Amino acid sequence: MNRRGIAGVAAAVMLALAGAVWAAEHVVSQKGKAFSVKKLIVKVGDTVKFLNEDPFSHNIFSLSDAKSFDLGSYGQGQSKSVTFDKAGTVEVECAVHPDMKVVIEVTK
Amino acid sequence: MSSAGRRLRAACAALGLALLPLLASAAPPLDTPGGAQGALLPRDSRDAAIFRGGLVYSNYCVTCHGINADGNGRAARLYNPRPANLRMSDKNDAYFALIIRMGGEALGRSPFMPPWGAELTDEQTNDLAAYLRSINARPKE
Repeated sequence: MNRRGIAGVAAAVMLALAGAVWAAEHVVSQKGKAFSVKKLIVKVGDTVKFLNEDPFSHNIFSLSDAKSFDLGSYGQGQSKSVTFDKAGTVEVECAVHPDMKVVIEVTK
Repeated sequence: MSSAGRRLRAACAALGLALLPLLASAAPPLDTPGGAQGALLPRDSRDAAIFRGGLVYSNYCVTCHGINADGNGRAARLYNPRPANLRMSDKNDAYFALIIRMGGEALGRSPFMPPWGAELTDEQTNDLAAYLRSINARPKE
């Protein structure tokens, strides 16, 4: 591999590392059958940690096109994380508590 | 408004006032037999349980199992195995109540079925089982 090739690979690795370093982690807790926020704005690549602070289980999921996921049931003190890899609006719900909703805007 | 219009409006108001005592005496009191309370289903009847169970189903179960309880709720696409078709279930009421309380994983079924024991009261669970029994369409063997 010539010098230019090596420089290109190095640049790509650095960019990837920079992305990993700059990606943020947000915490959204569940307490009193409610999310700690109604709306959250994150960047593509960011992670949201869903932390259960209630003494019973939650089951967080989303059916949105920008991110579909189901975290399954998890109890008090436990958390599960989701990385948002696509821009768009993600409506997050709890399968056990239909009134719980949070909207996550994923921006570029 | 013309004077004829004012007269008509005043006549209507007077008629309404005159009819008020009549309407009040015609309506049965709420706390006597034959009143509005008497029209309700007896609280302990199976029909009442099925009615209440339908409300529980609509609030908690419909997202996955669907409005027709056939396993085609809006969240069904997230899951493999897909949510059960409850209309065709061969399980008895005790099993319904058990899997509702403990969730699918505890009974060797889908881990995506959450345990509802902390959310639903025993009455809600039993009502839900009664509702599921009432909509079961599985041919009897």
